[in-house]
Amino acid sequence: MNTFTRKGDFWAGLALAALGIYIVSQAWGWNYMTEEGPGPGFFPLWYGSVMVLLSLALVAGTVLKNDPKSQKVLRWSELRRAMTCWAALAVCVAIIKYVGFMISFGLLTWFIIAIMFKRPQKVALAYAIGGAVGFYALFSWGLELQLPVGTLF
Amino acid sequence: MKFSKTLCAVGMMALAGFSGLAQAQWKPTKTVDVIVHTGPGGGNDLLARAVAQMLEKEKLLPVRMQVVNKPGGNGAVAAAAIAERKGDSHTIGFITSVWIANPLTTSEAKVTLHDLTPVARLLLEPAVFAVRADSPYKTLKDFIDAAKAKPGELKQSGGSVTSRDNIVRQQLQQHTGAKWAFVSFQGGGERLAALLGGHVDMMVIEPQEAGEQIRAGKLRVLAQIADTPLPGYPNTPTLKQAGFDIVATPQIRAVVAPPAIPKEALAYYEDLFNKLRQTASWKKYVADNQLEDSYAGGAELAKAIEAIEKDMRTQFQLAGMKLVR
Amino acid sequence: MDIFNGLMQGFSVALTPMNLGMCFLGCFLGTVVGVLPGLGPPATIAMLLPLTFKMDPTGAMIMLAGIYYGAKYGGSTTSILLNVPGETSSVVTCLDGYQMARNGRAGAALGISAIASFVAGTIGTVLLMLVAPPLAKLTLAFSAPEYFALMVLGLTMVVLLAGDSLTKALLSMMVGLWIASMGTDLFTATSRFTFGQTELLGGIEFVIVAIGIFAVGEVMSNMEPEKPLDMLPVPKGLKNLLPTWQDMKDCKYAFLNGSLIGFFIGILPGAGATISSFLSYGIEKSYSKHPEKFGTGVIEGVAAPEGANNADTAGAMVPLLTLGIPGSGTTAILLAALVLWGFKPGPLFIEESPALFWGLVASMYIGNVVLLILNLPLVALFAQLLKMPGYVMYPLILGVSIIGVYTSDSSIFQLSLLVLFGLVGYVMRKLDFPTAPLVLGLVLGDSMEKALRQALMMSQGHLSILFRPIPAVLLCIAAFLLIVPLFKKFNSARVQMIDAEA
Repeated sequence: MNTFTRKGDFWAGLALAALGIYIVSQAWGWNYMTEEGPGPGFFPLWYGSVMVLLSLALVAGTVLKNDPKSQKVLRWSELRRAMTCWAALAVCVAIIKYVGFMISFGLLTWFIIAIMFKRPQKVALAYAIGGAVGFYALFSWGLELQLPVGTLF
Repeated sequence: MKFSKTLCAVGMMALAGFSGLAQAQWKPTKTVDVIVHTGPGGGNDLLARAVAQMLEKEKLLPVRMQVVNKPGGNGAVAAAAIAERKGDSHTIGFITSVWIANPLTTSEAKVTLHDLTPVARLLLEPAVFAVRADSPYKTLKDFIDAAKAKPGELKQSGGSVTSRDNIVRQQLQQHTGAKWAFVSFQGGGERLAALLGGHVDMMVIEPQEAGEQIRAGKLRVLAQIADTPLPGYPNTPTLKQAGFDIVATPQIRAVVAPPAIPKEALAYYEDLFNKLRQTASWKKYVADNQLEDSYAGGAELAKAIEAIEKDMRTQFQLAGMKLVR
Repeated sequence: MDIFNGLMQGFSVALTPMNLGMCFLGCFLGTVVGVLPGLGPPATIAMLLPLTFKMDPTGAMIMLAGIYYGAKYGGSTTSILLNVPGETSSVVTCLDGYQMARNGRAGAALGISAIASFVAGTIGTVLLMLVAPPLAKLTLAFSAPEYFALMVLGLTMVVLLAGDSLTKALLSMMVGLWIASMGTDLFTATSRFTFGQTELLGGIEFVIVAIGIFAVGEVMSNMEPEKPLDMLPVPKGLKNLLPTWQDMKDCKYAFLNGSLIGFFIGILPGAGATISSFLSYGIEKSYSKHPEKFGTGVIEGVAAPEGANNADTAGAMVPLLTLGIPGSGTTAILLAALVLWGFKPGPLFIEESPALFWGLVASMYIGNVVLLILNLPLVALFAQLLKMPGYVMYPLILGVSIIGVYTSDSSIFQLSLLVLFGLVGYVMRKLDFPTAPLVLGLVLGDSMEKALRQALMMSQGHLSILFRPIPAVLLCIAAFLLIVPLFKKFNSARVQMIDAEA
């Protein structure tokens, strides 16, 4: 019984079913049909319902078809590095408001090169600074486009 | 001794005089940001860029004016951006009537014009009622009568349901008892195409957009919505002259500023735009774009906004829309 | 004025040194703007408008038009090399273009993109020249019911983009439709799915979703192995640096397909260039001898959409110049520019300003040649960019993504949406949910809903309006495209059964 709970499709199906139900519940609160034609609730009701049906079909598929080859099993060991990279990006965007683009992008570059690719510190720092300055020179100075500026820099 | 005392006195008076002068003549010292609610190329964006250019040409502004685009949410995002810059005397915003309409129906539009400082009204946008040249309606009355005979069958193309096109329609419908359908299209081009292609029967269109089609003989104008009759349309009756005694809710273009800006800055901008409207470049711009010059200072603008808002509330409620404020 | 004389007059205008210079400048700026994600022709043209007041209007128009179609040439560069769509309409090029780069054929992809753009752009200009005024009538015949049928046709492309699991493709598309409906409803001013956020009132920008799912998702995916792939294969030798003759032969239908679809969709004000690229890609795939290879790096999958989005610009000129009706953001600014210079775009425009019209058409021919000459050598230059080690490329892609989003809408909120969609893109990859249908749903969902509601408003609720001639034909084609692959599958299953029995 437990074999299907590790399958990605199972959880994806449940999540999408939940989303579909949310959509339908919101659409219920809007006008389905007004005297002038379909209202704002019309479309969401339809694609929400189809979403619920299809995602339940997906979940049913994982439960009924116990073929290990056809469905992906997710392992944390595979996801770990990708999620770390994502977390670094999220932090970078979060701090842009305070330190501006150059510093946060520089930090992100350094992180990717030094930590994720395990290159020497000198290389990482060189690219981090070079990249930040390069982007600044091209976009902010050369093209006069606004780059995110923080309160510090 | 007496001489130096006199000198001191004169000096102090001069100093007082100078500082008094300096206080009354506030000038911007860095780039002035103009926030607009459309992307580049949208209505207000082009107006802002044109104004920036005119101010530079006529040397009315000692610093640069830069257009900042904050599109989204029918003005809600731009309004929030202006409110955020509280007290900043180097930011202004260009608004249209949609800034008044939007907060009435959208709860996410957290900043309304009541939170911002009105500076000056610049323009009124006139409009005309247009039908295809081969349609059977020669006057607005013809159209209304036809609509009365077949309720809901005739169609008007226009913008969003809170736009001026629909408000005028609501006003006319109430006044005459006729009923006709309203089909919303996102872009002006689509609305015009729908009319020209015969998919709708009538639209309310800006004279600027309609000009060429009229000249080519494809459109016929039934009536005009304008405070002063448009120079290009001497034979077109206004609503009142056509027999419909209603005042259409105006479509304005005005300038606002962030809350709590210093009085001197407000006075400066009011004066700046007053000077602008007297220049030749401005007059040419207004004539070329077939707009109506209509200057009013901050206090009068505030009253005008109140009046428009009151109008809109009434019309929206009658149209059955849910008001959130 | 007949066409030959008009064209001669046009060339005499376009070939003056001043106007040639303007053409070159416009094409160059356009390519640069196209390469940079987030920065598009509308913003650039709006910024350059004040400068054009002092110039000769014909020259200025030639330059601005050069920016418009030049951007479509440049847009494929980042799509192919970095999986970041440089222009919204280049998103379809990412599908096969990036895969070709990963297979070491970046040069061929970039090259065929430039060649397809040239061929389709030129064919589009020829069509503009020959049939512009009669096409005006066709433009006007299209309204909401026709657009709805067209969007339905576009959405049936999902079947062709499905890959293995149709269920997952459809679910992907539904999510795209959902994102498309976020924002303020045009017809009733109701806010839908805005979660109380002011910034969501205008909906979510396509660019953010595309860059997030494609570029950021891909970077995350590449980070997975313990020792991530250091370098993408660099094209070695002239064979891989440019398309081969075999490639060109394979693409001959793609060129035609892209030109015609791009042009005819381009003349419709309500349909954008992204739709023509999707349709062209889908049709190319359905007629291909090896449809299952699409998505893994097939050269026709690059040639067709790239050609389509160039022919589309020529098509978009039709309503602009024959009716004065703009079809897109860029054409709206071009319209405003024409008015500012004192021209009168409308039904009488071609008659009254033949010098401008024919000069423009002639310059479009010249411009396409200029762009081909400009872009082909750049292929070699850009392909060398791939020599960069992975640990430099990935931060570069992330930096370009952030800037691309910020220049199109400067707010931290939009950047956080980028991060969110990056995660979504990664999760979709891990779970084998195809990403193209989501993008398709996002692009078409909003237009389709609006078109349906407008159509029903026009007909007062009667569905029969959808069976006017043009929508009926389009809906039949959609049905046909849906049935044919199913029929093929059914047939091959039948053949398999027969073989098994024998």
